[in-house]
Amino acid sequence: MDRRSFLIGTTAIGALMVAGNGLALAQEAEGSAPDLAQFPRNETVIVHNPEGVIRNPGWFNLWANGGGGLSTGLQQLTADTFWYIDPDAGIPEASENAIYYSLAEGPWEYNDDFSEMTVRLRKGIMWSDGVEFTADDVVFTVEKQAATPGTGWYGAFSTQIESVTAEDPYTVHFKLKAPNSRFHTTFSVRWNAAWIMPKHVFEGVEDIVAFENNPPVSLGPYTLHSYDPNGTWYIWEKRPDWDKTTMALVGEPKPKYIIYRNNISTDNRLIEMRNGNLDMIHDLSPEGTFSIVQQDPDVQGWFPGFPYAHPDPTLPMAVFNLQNPKFQDKRVRWALTLMLDARAMSMASYRGAATLSAISIPPTGTHPRDYHAPLQDYLINFELDTGSRVIKPYDPDVGLQIAEMVRPQFGDQVPTDPEAIRNSFGYGWWKTDVQAAEELLTAAGFTKQGNQWMMPDGSPFTISVLVPQEGVINRLGVMIAQSWAQNGVQATAEVATDIWDRTGAGDFEVEIGWAVETYGGHPDLAFFLDSYHSSFVVEPGETQPGRNWMRWKDPRLDEIINKVRGIDFNDPKAIEYGHEFVKLHLEEMPNIPIMSYNVFSIQSNRFWTGWPNAENPYANPVTNWSNAKYIFTQISPVEGAS
Amino acid sequence: MHGYLVFVGKRLLQLLAVIFFGVSATFLVTHLSPINPVEAALGRMTARSVSNPEAITAMRAALTELYGVNEPIWSQYINFWSRLVQGDFGPSLLAFPTPAMTLVMRALPWTVTLLTVATLITFAIGNVMGGLAGYNQNNRFLKAFGLVAIGIQPIPYYVVAFILLILFGFVWPILPISGGFAMNVTPGWNWPYISSVIQHATLPALSLVLVGFGGWFLGMRALVSNVVTEDYVTYAELAGVKRTTIVGSYVMRNALVPQLTALAMALGGVFSGTVITEQVFNYPGLGSLLIDAVNAGDYSLVLAVSSVSVTAVATAIFIVDLLYPILDPRVRAE
Repeated sequence: MDRRSFLIGTTAIGALMVAGNGLALAQEAEGSAPDLAQFPRNETVIVHNPEGVIRNPGWFNLWANGGGGLSTGLQQLTADTFWYIDPDAGIPEASENAIYYSLAEGPWEYNDDFSEMTVRLRKGIMWSDGVEFTADDVVFTVEKQAATPGTGWYGAFSTQIESVTAEDPYTVHFKLKAPNSRFHTTFSVRWNAAWIMPKHVFEGVEDIVAFENNPPVSLGPYTLHSYDPNGTWYIWEKRPDWDKTTMALVGEPKPKYIIYRNNISTDNRLIEMRNGNLDMIHDLSPEGTFSIVQQDPDVQGWFPGFPYAHPDPTLPMAVFNLQNPKFQDKRVRWALTLMLDARAMSMASYRGAATLSAISIPPTGTHPRDYHAPLQDYLINFELDTGSRVIKPYDPDVGLQIAEMVRPQFGDQVPTDPEAIRNSFGYGWWKTDVQAAEELLTAAGFTKQGNQWMMPDGSPFTISVLVPQEGVINRLGVMIAQSWAQNGVQATAEVATDIWDRTGAGDFEVEIGWAVETYGGHPDLAFFLDSYHSSFVVEPGETQPGRNWMRWKDPRLDEIINKVRGIDFNDPKAIEYGHEFVKLHLEEMPNIPIMSYNVFSIQSNRFWTGWPNAENPYANPVTNWSNAKYIFTQISPVEGAS
Repeated sequence: MHGYLVFVGKRLLQLLAVIFFGVSATFLVTHLSPINPVEAALGRMTARSVSNPEAITAMRAALTELYGVNEPIWSQYINFWSRLVQGDFGPSLLAFPTPAMTLVMRALPWTVTLLTVATLITFAIGNVMGGLAGYNQNNRFLKAFGLVAIGIQPIPYYVVAFILLILFGFVWPILPISGGFAMNVTPGWNWPYISSVIQHATLPALSLVLVGFGGWFLGMRALVSNVVTEDYVTYAELAGVKRTTIVGSYVMRNALVPQLTALAMALGGVFSGTVITEQVFNYPGLGSLLIDAVNAGDYSLVLAVSSVSVTAVATAIFIVDLLYPILDPRVRAE
């Protein structure tokens, strides 16, 4: 063989071997693919799931972290638990105060001191393999996970539950290690919750942390049809006995098939929806949303016009590390607040499509009704002593100003009614008042040399602002650092990949993130507020359990939390205590609340219609939230579309 | 022959040393990463749930024990090598307790197939056209081709990828823009599946070829421009040897040796994956697996991907070293 033949031959053989090996390995992958002809569009909804590639696509064990997907439809369509709490209003005839009674036939029943809880279960609910759901499944779920480190609810169960017993097949009784009036929220879905395990499947499994649970036995109205061995799509098929699931209490889910597709880049999502290959998109960039809603009349956002996005019950904020001496004087924290410009932050982060909040509660769901609107007079009259004078820093019209700023670009898409503007852009925020900020810093012992603020010890006032690598929160943080820098504070944005670790470890000065998440549709604040109790605050250097990242300690705060712990979840006094919390927060300003986390979720009315929106807020359209499943009972196929 | 065996032995030792130090460096870098896999897993498991602080503390302790990350780094290093010599990278922390190598082997074929084919096509187009352009310096078509190559080569890869995406996915939607194959085919040795794989790989491969061939073209043209001034080329022309023979057998063949070295390096590099291609076209592969592993602090998975990559590049260089004496008689003479 001459050299030429040798080179050509070896190259060709090598290429063939590599290609052949690839195909062979792909062939050996798990899963089977469906025939698309089985999925006519009037029977099939295609949903975007924001997860990346599912690295262990055949993993369907929701109770162990095995690398499978969660919002692939698995938790939305096959899982169930006692209660669901909607981040928006909920379907009126099926929910009460945004609470759905799912596997429980009614609300939680506590004893007088909240140390025991009884749950009465629905009868006739069936797993997809024909076995009836009973109290034994609940007892198994709790006992198995409490005894198995590494399972998802090991911590919650082992630290809180003394014992769980099945009083009869439809009644479960919990005895707690300590009184807890919010224990039921462990089994109440916000984004997810403690899902009930099928005892008959898991009881024979030796190591449930290593168990794939493939295919999953479903307690929801759908079962697994097929999935991508490369981890980018999952197809679910409606159970013939869907009426034996709790979904039947709300209505029949309309699609026969639901396809969840993940790992789709932002640009591809736009194209795929325009090509008819997606009905629901979890999120787009602000710019992508503005573009598609203007070009495609079938596409809708949460609001009918600008700002389109759905406000999540999550509150991005500037979180001070209160264990850092720089931020221990509330006058400094207020000074930094008054250096910020709400309009600049809104434009920089969301191109104006932000929903502002001056108080430490997200302006979303039913919170404007319970908190923002009733507290407007208080905010307008709120006084701040700068050390030189008393000012009223609140500006109730910032939202109106931002609406006017974006109107030249978006025209009729921007609402004109002041009430609609408040709902979309927020009620108001703090006036930029550099003079007052200077007075506050001066009163706190700071001095100014040229344009540089010096701390009381004579060193320059520097701040590192921790921001994520990209996205609206990155843009927001950069704008905040820039605003402080313009006003004499050496603030720089520090982009970090390990924000989660550093925030928990207290290795930051100011972090742009959130320390507040709520239910949205329900006024109770314990979801985040309970973790603010001073007993949970750790020493510097130790890892702070969420969500009090600023490590705020205040006896008055503990008093409010203790009062909330002493009342029932549905007690109207919760709102009153919530107001007390807001007022204490304003006095101390331990973090600077800025805006809700607006998610640019969009839906196409090309094949299916009836999606939730601000005018009919029956559900959260953000696709990875488990309670988004109720949407499938409310939509209907568009006649003639295929 | 004895000399060649000594040469091979030396190179083999070098190969083993490179792999050992490369993998050890990767181990050190991954373990110096500030990302804590326990905190990353804890975030995935509890970030959106109602969990009281005591529960999170208990979970943290359980995961730390489960993942074995509380051992001293030297102990982890020894354990790592003792497992590795048995071909075991340990369980992935991202997909615990699935072996890290299982995840790598799931992604590897896609990356290797796409990049090997794209690299070979790019190499062939770039070198043939570059060689012809270097020899026929007044040919108008080849001049125009050179302008195109020079024009496309500096465009950032992601721009070219997005242009292709919009052109063939939206404006003239004739090619799929997402995934490795369609949902309506069954993976296996059947034509619908294979044609679907080819269809889905077309845009990613085209984007790589468009951006990649310019470099080979320019390199080969420059090499040939030097070779054509050699005496033996002039002699061959004066002797009336056919131009096609001159360019094929004398000019390009001599210019090709350094290009083949670069090709071997490029083929070794395909094991690192291509992150942007995978992101833009939602294509399965090693690049995004590595990114996910880094972000999750999954030491085992990062080590598995990196070790495959280090071994592949080192082995490619080793093979080139062994082939040099066969390819180039001058090396054999030395």
